[in-house]
Amino acid sequence: MRRGLMEWNPQELPLEVLDARIARLRVRMKSAGLGAFIIYTNLVRPSAVTYLTGFTPYWSEGLLLVPMTGRLAFATALSNRVADWIRSTNPVSDVISTPRPGVLLGERLAKDDSVKRVGILELDALPAELSDDLAAAAPTIRWLDGSAQFAMVRRDIDPAEQQILMRSDAIAVAALDQVNTATTSDAGTLAGLIERHARLAGAEEAYIAVAPNLAADRRLTRVSKPIQLADRFAVRASIAYKGAWLRRTRTFARDHRVARADAWFEGVIRGIEAGKPISGQLAAYVEALSDATLEFWMVESCIGSYPLSVIASSRMSGRDAPIEDGFFVLTIGLLLHGGHWIGTRPLTLNNRSS
Amino acid sequence: MIGDDRRARLIGAMAEARLDMLLVYGNAWQCDYLRYATDFGIIEGQALALVRNDGHITLYLDSPLEVDRAELDCPTAEVIHATDLIAEVDAVLDRLRNYRIGAAPQRLLPRRIAARAKVLNISDQTTFVDRLLMDKMESEVAAIRRAATIADEGYRVFMNAARSGRPDYELIAESEAFFRANGVDDNFQIIGVGGVEVRGMTPPSGKRLKRGDLVTTELTPCVDGYYAQICRTLVVGEPSAEQRSAHALFRESMEAGIAVVRDGIVAADIARAENDVFRKHGLGEYTTNKYTRVRGHGMGLFADSKPHLLEDVTTRIDAGMTLIVHPNTYHPAVGYLVLGDAVIVTRDGCEVLTKTPRELFSVPG
Repeated sequence: MRRGLMEWNPQELPLEVLDARIARLRVRMKSAGLGAFIIYTNLVRPSAVTYLTGFTPYWSEGLLLVPMTGRLAFATALSNRVADWIRSTNPVSDVISTPRPGVLLGERLAKDDSVKRVGILELDALPAELSDDLAAAAPTIRWLDGSAQFAMVRRDIDPAEQQILMRSDAIAVAALDQVNTATTSDAGTLAGLIERHARLAGAEEAYIAVAPNLAADRRLTRVSKPIQLADRFAVRASIAYKGAWLRRTRTFARDHRVARADAWFEGVIRGIEAGKPISGQLAAYVEALSDATLEFWMVESCIGSYPLSVIASSRMSGRDAPIEDGFFVLTIGLLLHGGHWIGTRPLTLNNRSS
Repeated sequence: MIGDDRRARLIGAMAEARLDMLLVYGNAWQCDYLRYATDFGIIEGQALALVRNDGHITLYLDSPLEVDRAELDCPTAEVIHATDLIAEVDAVLDRLRNYRIGAAPQRLLPRRIAARAKVLNISDQTTFVDRLLMDKMESEVAAIRRAATIADEGYRVFMNAARSGRPDYELIAESEAFFRANGVDDNFQIIGVGGVEVRGMTPPSGKRLKRGDLVTTELTPCVDGYYAQICRTLVVGEPSAEQRSAHALFRESMEAGIAVVRDGIVAADIARAENDVFRKHGLGEYTTNKYTRVRGHGMGLFADSKPHLLEDVTTRIDAGMTLIVHPNTYHPAVGYLVLGDAVIVTRDGCEVLTKTPRELFSVPG
């Protein structure tokens, strides 16, 4: 569950920014012939509702109804006692507590004769009970997948989101700065230290993962028990601040090759260009790093309900497709003399330059 | 191993129910069905798993980060990275139409798969798994005991972090750091800070503690997948007479609830015993859903498990079940107040797992 700081700050996320985002979605709805749009949310799939309303559920689930005009309606199974808290973090929706959000919103849509077609973000993934309730309450409405329309709305990052993402990144960087290779030997204690720092700085959520011995295994895992850290290890901090997620992974070691790879990665982040396949660009960069082999790469972005989705990677088909402008999280894995090296950093591509 | 125990029990139950396979869905919120069947504690993305009646498990995950974790945490499962999770599992199910497949939890199954349940020969087996989740084996109870012990320790960390002027989220940061360093993967925790204006608990919102505030928390650490809960209230500074009096009422209510817990009663009996104390003091209104959600609930692989303790829930309480009994609600004189202890149901009563004194604690104002 989410248990870090969760509040709406109008200085960080002004009402007019939310209104503009909703307006952008309505333009897409109109061009697709949709009379309304529905978005599911829970703590694993919060990001689309957070983007439009500022609200993230700490627990349970809900449905957001975006009509063509008027206020949004958020129907949730969270109890009525927390409705005031929801309103305090969601300034653009009417909030309704109901055990059956699908029934409530379905009945509302059924009463509106102008609504014939409704877009649903990630229609196939909608939970069965909510889907059945919507269909039963509004049997004449045609439900369509609205994921492509929503992804187009999400393509551009507004300055408010950029600022919040920068805050998330600052928290991640400062939390990872707590690692001292000279004094830290236990992965569990290290994870606690990093998470504490992130949460004290106001993180809404912090997932800390560790690969305790990069000479043996590059896979990162959740750690909450004493595990000896080897000479080379990696820590990933996945941080949310006010619903904006990003990751940083850093490799820690006592040998100089890691520092060299870190500097190389900074250059990669500065040099990656939009409009070109990322695989080819990375291959060229790796050639410049002696003793290194590119093991894998992954690009994540927020395009739907997930905080971060993999949009391209060395393991996916279509990996040679170019990456366009936007905000991304880039992870690179190298085989570097003596073991693995992993790095993750935010990557902003704007007008074909980073 | 607890995972092996669960798998053996699940396979046996599937044979009795004449199921060839079980399809389970899970995410970091509703994680219990997936954890029971696969032993994987998912954090990001969504998962579907197919458990065969010979014990083979195929775990489909849409997050590559979670694939890495699952390979490490569940070495006996076949782990598959399914970038288009629902479509890929749907295609697999299409090839398994000749098998009798049960599914749980039905209500969260992705629409695309649930809509084709008849064609795919899938039946709703949520109740079947719910029963396994509620009736705990010895190894499961042992994990809950460990979680209860660390819940007591975590509350001490929380209490030591509480002082006037500190924002609410810092108290949770301190307990989370303690948990991460001490074997706790996850924690369900909400908080309330203030007085009569506070109607419930929520995630922290940056409110700073001040003298006279009640600070309520429901703290639920997870050990080896199992959650145990403790609910306590503290006061910043010395408690007032009204706060002490209200707390005494909640203690009487919780102890009345715990006193009736034993094998063979129904969930409603516990809720009624708790609520009768409020009614006796003329505060029966505050036991309704206008002011409170439940009077306790099950504990296990989900922080808020079945059965819910309410006066209209007739689920039988069996020896071996683990519950939290908490009469948490609004008190008109002091605001929202909580007190709750974790218990294991026994043949003749129950064993209280959480040992933190049932006091209204006080921290420096």
